[in-house]
Order: sequence, then C-alpha cells, then structure tokens
Amino acid sequence: MSSIDYNQIMSIGIYGSAIGLILIGLYAVLMKKHLTKIVIGLSIIDAGIHLLFVAIGYIDNGTAPIFSPKGLEMMAAGKTMVDPVPQALVLTAIVIGFGVTAVALSLVIRLYRHNKTARIDQIKSLKW
Amino acid sequence: MVISPVHYVAVPLLAAFLMPLLSKINREFVRIIPGLVLIYLGYVSVTLMNQLAETGTIVETIAGWSAPFGINLVFSPFTGFLASMMTAMAFIIWIYSYRFKKVDSEPAQRFYILQMMLVTGTIGIVLTGDIFNFFVFMEITAISAYALTAFYRHRDGAEAGFKYLLIGSFASTFILLAIVLLYSQVGTLNMAEIAQRMHTVPMPMKVSILILFLVGLGIEAEMFPLNGWAPDAYSQAPGPVGVTFAALVVKAGVYGLIRVVYTLFDIPSVGEFLIIMGAVTLVISEVAALKQTNIKRMLAYSSIGQMGVVLIAFGIGTTEAVFGALFLMFNHAIIKGLLFMSGSYLVYNNPEKEIKYLSGYGMKMPVISLFFSLGALAIVGLPPFAGFWSKLYILMSAADSSLYGLIALILAVSIIEIVYYFRVVGRLYFGKPAEGSIMHKATPGGIIAMSILSITILVVGFYPDIISSYIHNAAEALLDKAQYIENVLPSVNDLTQIQN
Repeated sequence: MSSIDYNQIMSIGIYGSAIGLILIGLYAVLMKKHLTKIVIGLSIIDAGIHLLFVAIGYIDNGTAPIFSPKGLEMMAAGKTMVDPVPQALVLTAIVIGFGVTAVALSLVIRLYRHNKTARIDQIKSLKW
Repeated sequence: MVISPVHYVAVPLLAAFLMPLLSKINREFVRIIPGLVLIYLGYVSVTLMNQLAETGTIVETIAGWSAPFGINLVFSPFTGFLASMMTAMAFIIWIYSYRFKKVDSEPAQRFYILQMMLVTGTIGIVLTGDIFNFFVFMEITAISAYALTAFYRHRDGAEAGFKYLLIGSFASTFILLAIVLLYSQVGTLNMAEIAQRMHTVPMPMKVSILILFLVGLGIEAEMFPLNGWAPDAYSQAPGPVGVTFAALVVKAGVYGLIRVVYTLFDIPSVGEFLIIMGAVTLVISEVAALKQTNIKRMLAYSSIGQMGVVLIAFGIGTTEAVFGALFLMFNHAIIKGLLFMSGSYLVYNNPEKEIKYLSGYGMKMPVISLFFSLGALAIVGLPPFAGFWSKLYILMSAADSSLYGLIALILAVSIIEIVYYFRVVGRLYFGKPAEGSIMHKATPGGIIAMSILSITILVVGFYPDIISSYIHNAAEALLDKAQYIENVLPSVNDLTQIQN
C-alpha cells in the first residue's frame, strides 16, 4: 500500500488527457455549427495527437536529449535520454497545424463575406 | 551539376518562393518560370530514367544521414514512372494555363506559386522513403490544394475549399495518428525498415494502424465513402486546377495507399478489402455521375469511378493486375486531363456549368468538341484509344484470378459510363443550339496542350508498347518488397535494433 507508482499515474494522466483532447476536438468538429468553433476543434485534435506523440517518446526518468557535456554527465550517472525523434516530429506537426489553421481561418473569413453568415447549417450552396 | 532526385523537390519549392521577388523585375516571369522549372524537371526525369535503366534504383540520402536515420528519396522504376508522369502532366497543365488570368498578374502569381507547391508536394509524396516526410509532403499538397480550390472569389470556392479542408484535416489527423502508433511499435520512420520490422507488431495493432492509414489515405485517393470533397472541389476550382487534381493529387493519394498496403504491411486479406471498396466506389460514383447536370461534377464522379477501378486492380494484386492499374493511372491522367481541359472551355461562359447549355456546340466550337469527344471515347475504353488497353489488362487479370463477377461489374458500369459521356457528346453534335450562348475562343496554349494529350492518347492506343515496358518495370518494382528494402538499406546491421 505504501508504494504508489507516481509514474504510472502520470502516464495514465498524460495518455488520458491526450485521448480526451482528441475526443473534445472531434466533438467540436462534428457537433458545432459555427465555422470558427470547427476550426478550434481541429486545432484541439491536433494538440491531442501532439501530446500523444511526445508521451510515446518519453522514457521514465529520462533527461532532455541534448548531446552536451552536461547531458553526457547525466548519461554516465545512469539516466537515459528520452527519444528525441517524436519531439522533432511534433515540432514539424505543430508548424503544419499552424499553416492549416491559418488557411482554415482565411477560408472562414471568405465564407463569412460570401454568405453573410458563419453558421454551417445556413451555408447551403453546395450539397454538404 | 549532378542530377539527383532531390531536384524534384528543391527546384519547384525554390521557384515558388522566389516568384514574388522575380515578378518585381518582370511580370511575365511569373508565367515563364514555372515552365522553365518543369522543363528542367523533365530533363531530370529523362536523365534519371536512363540512369535507372543502367544502374537500378537510385537512392538519395539527404544531408549525409544514411538510410534508417535520415530522410531518403527513392527513385525506383515505380516511383520514377509516377514522378515522370506527374512532371509531364504538370508541364502540359502549364502550357494549358499559360494565359491564365492574362490581364491580372497578381492572381496569376498566386496561382502559379500554388501550382508549384502542388508539384513539389505530389512528387515528394511519391519519391520519399520516410513515412513522416510522406506526411509533410501530403500536407504541402493539401494546403495548396485547399487554397487553389478556393481560388475564385465569385464562385462557391470558399465553401468547397472549407469542405475539402475539413475532410483533409481528418485525413491528416488519421495519418499522423497512424504514424505515431507505428513509430511506437517499430521505433523507426524509414519505410523500408518499417516493412522489415512489421512482423514484430502484434496483429490487432497492425490492423488498427492499417485502418487509420486506409481512412486517411482513402480520403486523398477518393475512396468511397470518403470522397465527399471531390465533386465540390473539382467543380468550384479553376479549370487547370481540376486537371491538376485528377492528374497529380489523386495519383499521389493512390500511390500512398498502395505503398502502405503493399510495402509497409503484409496482411494478405487487405486485397479483398480493396476490391470491395473499389467496387463500391465504382458503382456508387458512376451512378452518381449519371444523374449530374453539372459537367465538372460529372467528370469528378467519373474520376472517382476510375480510381475505384484502380483500387480493384491493386486489390487483385497479381503482376498483371498491378500493370493494368498503373496503366489505368497513366491513362486516367492524360484522358481525364483532356476532358477537364476541353470541358472547362465548353462551359467557360456558363456559370452553372450545366450540360444542357452545351447543345449544338459541336458546330460552334468544332475543335474543342472534337477533343472532348475523343476523351469521352477514350475513357470508356473503346478500342483504338489508350483507355482500351488498361481496361483490357485489368479484365484479363480478373479473369486469371477467376473473379468473373468483377468482370461483369466493370463491364456493366462501363455501359453507365458510355451513357453519361455520350449524352454530352450527343448534345454537342445533335442538340439544337441554345439562344444567346457565347463562345469562348481557346488560347493557343490550350489548343497545344489538348493536342499533345490527344496525340498521346492516340499513340498509346495504337502502340501501347512504347509505354508498357516502363509500366511493367514499375509494377515489378512495386511488388518486389525485398528488393525495395535491400535498395534502401544496403547493409542491415545489428545496431539499429529496437530498444524498447
């Protein structure tokens, strides 16, 4: 009873919040009628996936994956580095997500000017 | 200068970002530079294809990081064929759209920049040997495709673009999630190494990852029921962009699907799944095409149907079927390109793009109508044209695998195809001319581009041998997974084993 595994709780928390964020985002995209809220939902899904990705690369008690004297010292002291690849990929994915959000918002502005509304159920020129 | 596959990605990307600067020197540069870039890429294609015949698959490591660690570009007979085809089509589209927005250089500049980005992205998807790099190129393609869909302010472009963006974001989310899970299982992003380690992944995980990939890439490849974006995007985007979607973007999506199914995964029953999805896609889209009144939507649904046939053929999975599928991809690029090009001229001054306004255009616009009719004859697969051969090979391979129901289905759907294409052709030649319809004279570039495509259709139709050896090598390269792994990872060492 004495040893509560904090790492276990931590990882459940991180994975749980990643999946929670994805679900919240999906809810926003599928259920909300306002275009801006849909775009926000897309960003939230992205954030969830990024969190999941970083969590997968994490190793218990790992240090930052920097190849420096200090990092080597910590390596020698028996600490492992976390996997750097997911972090690099998440940085790329964040930039891509930023680009997609920017394009999406510009399209929302265009749609608003064209249709005088930003509610998706009132835009019906094309078949949804 | 040493020619390498990197130029496919680097040169158009550089040109796209230099164009705003160079247009300050001379406005005409905006139009000329994409052409020069594509001519150079054509030269690269020819050189590399020759080199390929001599030395075999060319693997380019980027920034000196060798295969499993760094990103690499793989120019195999398969990817090289697709990349060369895309370059050629992009060049023909450039000829076609040379006078696009001729009075207004600012929108033209945006158009050409986005087109260059699209070329970078689609060819990058095909060449890359790294699964995350694949995702990045897919996003480059997708973002420029969204922007091009919403190009025209006065149409419902923004709506089609937003719809495409919404579905496309789901696609990229699914692909990213699949990559995340795959990385957590195999600990590498290099496609060859993933293929090598795939047998260590437990079956349920493998199936989940494959489903995520299929959904994500199925959206880009217009697989039913994930193709809701396509008809709107095709009908609202400018004419040349429709051609680009049919000839480049969808091809890249199909490539991704096939690469994932054939190289990364080794689940045998996936072929049956592809056949079923392809058949459903084919039937539903062709029936939908039958009831379209908008010509661009009709062509878009026909395009989806053709991709259904491609999926069926890839699902059958024999060398002959893959040969037929690649041949159909090539034919679809040239024929649907011709149809979209001539179709956009036919409905140029007709904001609704309705088929019923086309009556009697055969006499008023004889050349364009002839091109459209030629394309219609070719795409339904009538004998002297290119479309005949690909359909024949696919049917023959289905017969070899004793899938007679499938043959009946493809032939029955061909009849639907004939009905809706010939309804348009019949209207062109035998319909009563509508009052007050204004013709639009085609630009010389448009005529040249359409002539090139028509001549290609006829030449390939009469002498399929000039292209079939390339396609045959491509099909063999695609199916030979061991060779692919060996090419990318020349010496498999023990240092790169999975740590966790």
